[in-house]
Amino acid sequence: MAESTMANGNANTSDWQDRYYHVDQVLDRPGPRTDPSFAAGEGVKDFLRNKCKILVIGAGGLGCEILANLALTGFKDIHVIDMDTIDISNLNRQFLFRPKDVGKPKAIVAAEFIMKRVPGVKVTPYYGKIQDKDDDYYLQFNLVICGLDSVEARRWMNATLVNLVDPENPESLKPLIDGGTEGFKGQARVILPTISSCYECSLDMLNKPTAFPICTIANTPRLPEHCIEWASVLEWPRVHGDKKVDTDDPEHIGWLFQVASKRAREFNIEGVTWSLTQGVVKNIIPAIASTNAIIAASCCNEAFKIATSSAAYLDNYFMLIGTDGVYSYTFQYEKRDDCPVCGGESMDISISKEWTVERLIDTLTERQDIQIKKPSLSSGDMHIYFQAPPQLEQATRPNLEKKVSELVKDGGEITVTATTLPFSLSLRVTFT
Amino acid sequence: MLQNESQDIEQASAIVQAHAPDSKTRRYDRQLRLWAASGQAALESARILVTSASATSTSILKNLVLPGIGHFTILDPTVTAPADAGNNFFLNGFDSVGKPRAAEAVPLLRELNDSVEGVADTRELESLLDSDMGREWIKSFSLVIAHNLSAKTLDRLAELLWEENTNPPLIVVRSAGFIADFYIQVHKHCVIESHSETNPSLRLTKPFPALQAWADSIDYDEVDPTEHAHIPFPIILIKEADAWRKEHDGNLPISYAEQKLFKAQVIARQKKLDEENFEEAEGQAVRMWSEKPVSSDISTLLTFASPAETLPKANYAFHALLETLKLFVSHPNGPGALPLTSTLPDMRTDTESYVKIQKMYKEQARAENALFKKILKEAFPDLSIDEGLVDAFVKNAHHLKLIRGRKFGDFDRQRTELQSGLEIFNKEVATHVALSALFNLFSRGSDPTSITPESLRAEVNTLVGQNSAPLNEEVEEAIDNAVGEVARTPTADIPNTAAFLGGLVAQEAIKLITKQYVPINGYCVVDLVGSWTGLVGQPPA
Amino acid sequence: MISLWSMKKKEDAAAKKKPKTSAAQIRVQKDLTELDLPSTMKTYFPDPQNLLSFTLTITPDEGMYKDGAYNFSFEINNNYPHEPPKVKCTQVIYHPNLDLDGNVCLNILREDWKPVLNLNAVMTGLQYLFLEPNADDPLNKEAAEEMRRDRDQFLRNVRVTMRGGSLKGKRYDNVLASAQ
Repeated sequence: MAESTMANGNANTSDWQDRYYHVDQVLDRPGPRTDPSFAAGEGVKDFLRNKCKILVIGAGGLGCEILANLALTGFKDIHVIDMDTIDISNLNRQFLFRPKDVGKPKAIVAAEFIMKRVPGVKVTPYYGKIQDKDDDYYLQFNLVICGLDSVEARRWMNATLVNLVDPENPESLKPLIDGGTEGFKGQARVILPTISSCYECSLDMLNKPTAFPICTIANTPRLPEHCIEWASVLEWPRVHGDKKVDTDDPEHIGWLFQVASKRAREFNIEGVTWSLTQGVVKNIIPAIASTNAIIAASCCNEAFKIATSSAAYLDNYFMLIGTDGVYSYTFQYEKRDDCPVCGGESMDISISKEWTVERLIDTLTERQDIQIKKPSLSSGDMHIYFQAPPQLEQATRPNLEKKVSELVKDGGEITVTATTLPFSLSLRVTFT
Repeated sequence: MLQNESQDIEQASAIVQAHAPDSKTRRYDRQLRLWAASGQAALESARILVTSASATSTSILKNLVLPGIGHFTILDPTVTAPADAGNNFFLNGFDSVGKPRAAEAVPLLRELNDSVEGVADTRELESLLDSDMGREWIKSFSLVIAHNLSAKTLDRLAELLWEENTNPPLIVVRSAGFIADFYIQVHKHCVIESHSETNPSLRLTKPFPALQAWADSIDYDEVDPTEHAHIPFPIILIKEADAWRKEHDGNLPISYAEQKLFKAQVIARQKKLDEENFEEAEGQAVRMWSEKPVSSDISTLLTFASPAETLPKANYAFHALLETLKLFVSHPNGPGALPLTSTLPDMRTDTESYVKIQKMYKEQARAENALFKKILKEAFPDLSIDEGLVDAFVKNAHHLKLIRGRKFGDFDRQRTELQSGLEIFNKEVATHVALSALFNLFSRGSDPTSITPESLRAEVNTLVGQNSAPLNEEVEEAIDNAVGEVARTPTADIPNTAAFLGGLVAQEAIKLITKQYVPINGYCVVDLVGSWTGLVGQPPA
Repeated sequence: MISLWSMKKKEDAAAKKKPKTSAAQIRVQKDLTELDLPSTMKTYFPDPQNLLSFTLTITPDEGMYKDGAYNFSFEINNNYPHEPPKVKCTQVIYHPNLDLDGNVCLNILREDWKPVLNLNAVMTGLQYLFLEPNADDPLNKEAAEEMRRDRDQFLRNVRVTMRGGSLKGKRYDNVLASAQ
C-alpha cells in the first residue's frame, strides 16, 4: 500500500529539439473541423505538458497501453491506481511487465517502466483501491481514463465523478473516458458527468456472465460447464463450508476440476478440462494485446483532443468488432432520465430551521411541480423516513417529529425515492 | 484425520501436477481461448518483415511479438532522428538519436517475449527490389508489412508480391496525423475457422434417419409429464413439421402468416404453461424456413471450386477440400447438404435425452466425415493432407470463408469505382483518396512544406477524374475535410494513431497467419478526428 | 482543455460534499420502500441501518405449505442490480425446488436476472414456489419424484417434515408458524 512519487529529470531540459515534431503538427495549426476556440501554439502545449494532470484507473491490459500513449503524446503528470499484482497470464499483453515482475504491484512496476522509457514524465502510482481515495483526491485531476475489467469498480468511479459535479464549480466536472475489451471486440466512450450519458445509463446493455439454472446444475447437467458449476456452486460450499474458492490457487482449481470430471463421467458428458474449469470459475474473458492497443489508443486520443481542443472529441461511444473484418460503430448513447446516477432530478429547497420531517414530507407531497406520493427520505447512511417495510417504517417513524435541521446540516443532501419518481430526487436543503 | 488430510493434500498436488497447464500455456491463456493451440502454432511459425521502425511499425510489431510470432525482421536504413526518439516507445529516448533505428528498436521489442526472434536489417528496400537475391529474400517471409512507403517503392513491392499467388500477403499502412488507412494485398485467403456466431443448420427440415425415428417414436399423449417437459426442441420441431406437411401438401410454412401459425401450433402443444422446451422450440422454429441444405454463402463459395487438374498451387489443400465439398453435396450416397454439424447448442432437456441426441449427431457427423474423406481420396488420390485439417474443414463446413483480393492500388486505378464510392461512402472514400494524393505527391518529390489543401485537392481531382459530373455538396465537404486534415499533418506519425493502427493491423495479421476469424477485404479507413473507421474498395463481386 | 468550463481556478474547491450513497444503495432504498407485501410475507432487518442484509419470512395461507413459516436470507452487494441478490433458505425444508443446503431454484435469481427486476419480483417469485412447487425442474430430486409419483404421500411427507420430523434418515427443521 505504498504511495510513492518518483520523478526523473526535469521536464524542460529533457524536451530535446523536435521531440514533439509529430504531435506538434496537430498543435501548431487547426484542421478544417477544429473548433474555433482552439488556440494553436505554445499555450496549448504548455497546458498539456506542464499543467494538465491526468488519472489512469487500472494498470492492466488497457492501463499499460494508456500510460505509454499518454507519456508519448506529452502528458507529463500522470497518476495511476491499481490494486492488483502481476500474474504470468498478464504477460501476453501487459507489455510493461516481464517474468521477473510476477507478484509485484502493477501500478508501481508500470510507473517505473514508463518513467525510465519516456524521460521527463512523472507517473505517480498508487497500489490500492479506488475506494481508498476521497473526493479531494479526484478533484485534483483534469481528466480520468478508466481501463478496468470490473463492472463494480467502473460503477463506483462513474458515480464518484458524477457526484463530484458542483454546479457552482466548473472545475469539478471531470471528463471520464472509459475503455473495455473482450477478445477481438471493444469499446471506448467519453462521459461528461451530468452532461452526457454515464456508465450507469447503459448498465442494462452490458453482457452479464452466463449463469445456468441451478436445477440444471443439480439434476440435468448437459454441458461440461454445468458439471463445473456443480463443483463450484454446490459441492464446494457443501464440503468446505464457509471457506471461499481461491481461483488463483491451483489446488482449489484442481479440486473443482476433479469433482467436475467425476460428475461429467457419471453423466457421459465430454469436455471438462483444466482450462475450461478455470475459465468458468474465474469468468475469464479472452484478452489480446492488439484489441487493447486499439481501445487504449482511442481513449488516449479522446483525452488528448479534450485536453488540447485540437479536434472534436468523441460524442460519445465507439464500439469495435474485429472478428469479421473491421466493423465499428460511432454513436451517441443517450442519457437516461431514470438513471440512478446521473438522471433523476435535483432540487434546492429552503425551509425553516423549525420544520419537522413530517412537515417537509407534507410539503413535498403537496407541491404541484413534483407530485411525489409516499416519499421515503435518506441522507447518506441515515434513514430519515421510510414508508416500508413495516419494521423500517416503525424504526424511522420517531424522526417525523424531529426537526430536519437536527438530522441534516445546512446545504446537506436528502435522497428521496417514491413510486411516482423515475428513480430518485436529490434535495439540497438550506435553512432560513 | 491427520492421515486423511495428508492424503488429500498428496492427492491434490498429484492432480495439479498431472493437469495444471505449463508456464507457456499459462502465459498465453487469454489468447489460446480465442485461437487455440492450432492458431498459436501458426503464429509461432510465422516470419514477418516490416519495412521500417516507425512508431506505427513498432506498434504493430509489439502486438505480434507479445502473442508470440516466430520471427520478425525490421528493414530500416535510417538513423534515429530526434523526432523518432520522441514518438516511438521502442526507442531509448534521446539516447537512440544518431544510432540505426532498426537496431535500436529490435532489442526493445524482443524483450517483450523471449521466444520471439528479431533481426535488424539496415539495407535499402529499393536496392533489395533491384536484385534477384533481394527479391527472393523478401518473398521468403510469410507476411510483409509496409508503413508510409513512398508510392513508387510501394508499387514495386506490391508488384513483386502480387506476381505469384504463392508469395506472402502484403499489408500496406498509410497514416498522416489523425488520418490513416490500411490494405491487405492477397490473392486468396481461406478461412476454415471463421468463428462465426451464427448457428449451423441442424438439418431439421430433412432429418437423418435416426433422428426421424426418434421423433416418430414419441407420442405426446403417452409420455409422462416430466418427459413431456423435456422433449428436446429439435424433436418437437421435426414432429410439428411432419404434422404441418400433412395438412399443407407436403410443404413447410412459407408466408409470414403461415410461419406465425406454425409457431402457434408448436406452443399449443404445451401441457403446462411453463414447459420451457416448447417455448424454446417456438423460438427456434425459424430454423424450419431459414435453414437450407447449403447456405447461400457456401453456395457462392462452391462456385469457386474447380476440378483437380486446374487447381491453383497456393492454398492447394483448401481448394481440394472445396472441390470435395462440392462433390459431397451432390453425391448420391450423401445427405444432399453440407456435412452435419457435430456441436449442438444447449437445450432445455434432461441429461439422458441431451446425451442421446448429441450422440446421434456425433455418429451421423462421423459417418458423413468418412464419406467426405472417401470422396477426397477418390478425387485427389495423390494429395497428402493432414487429417486434422480435413476434420477441421468438415466440422466448419457451414462457416467457411474465401477472400479473393486484388492488387494494391487497383481501386485507385478505377475512376468509376472511386467516383461511385465517393457518392455512397463520401467521407470514407474521401479520406482514402486524400492519403493516396499525399503519397503520390511525396513520390514525385514534393517537400512536406509544399503540401497544402490546394495541392492535395488538385491531386485528388486527378485521381478521381475531373471530367465527371460535378460532385455534390456532401462529397465536396468530405474531400475538403480530408485534404485539410492531411495537409495539417503531412508527416505526422502521432503516437495515438500509431497505437490505434498498431492494434488494428496486428489483429488483421493474426487473422491472416492463423487463418482464423475473417480479415478485411478492401481498405480500412480510419479518422481519429471523428473517431470512426470504415471499409471501402472491396473488389467487385 | 475543451471549453466546457472556464479555465480559471475557483478559490474554494472544497465546497460542499454530497453524502456518499452508492447507486446500489439508493436502488435498494427504492426497492424496499416501495415494497407492497401481502400479509403472508415479512421482512426483518437484524441491523436496521444495513439495508443490504435482511431476512424474508413467508407464511403461505394456502397450498401444501400452509401453516409453515419459511425464512430466506437476502444478501445484496454493491453491484446490485447488475448482479441479483443472493438468496438462501435458512431452514432445512422438504421442497422440490429447494435443496437441503438452502439453495433455491428460481430462474430470476440466476439465469433470468435483469437489472429491471426488483426485490418485489424476487419475493413474489419465492412465494409462488410454495403455492405451486414445480416438480419438472427440481433441485430436490427425491421430493420431486415423490410429488409426481404419489401426491398424497408427498403431502404427508411435507406435513411430517414441517413439524420437524425425519424422512429417510434426514431430519428437517420445524417450520410451523405456531412454533416460531
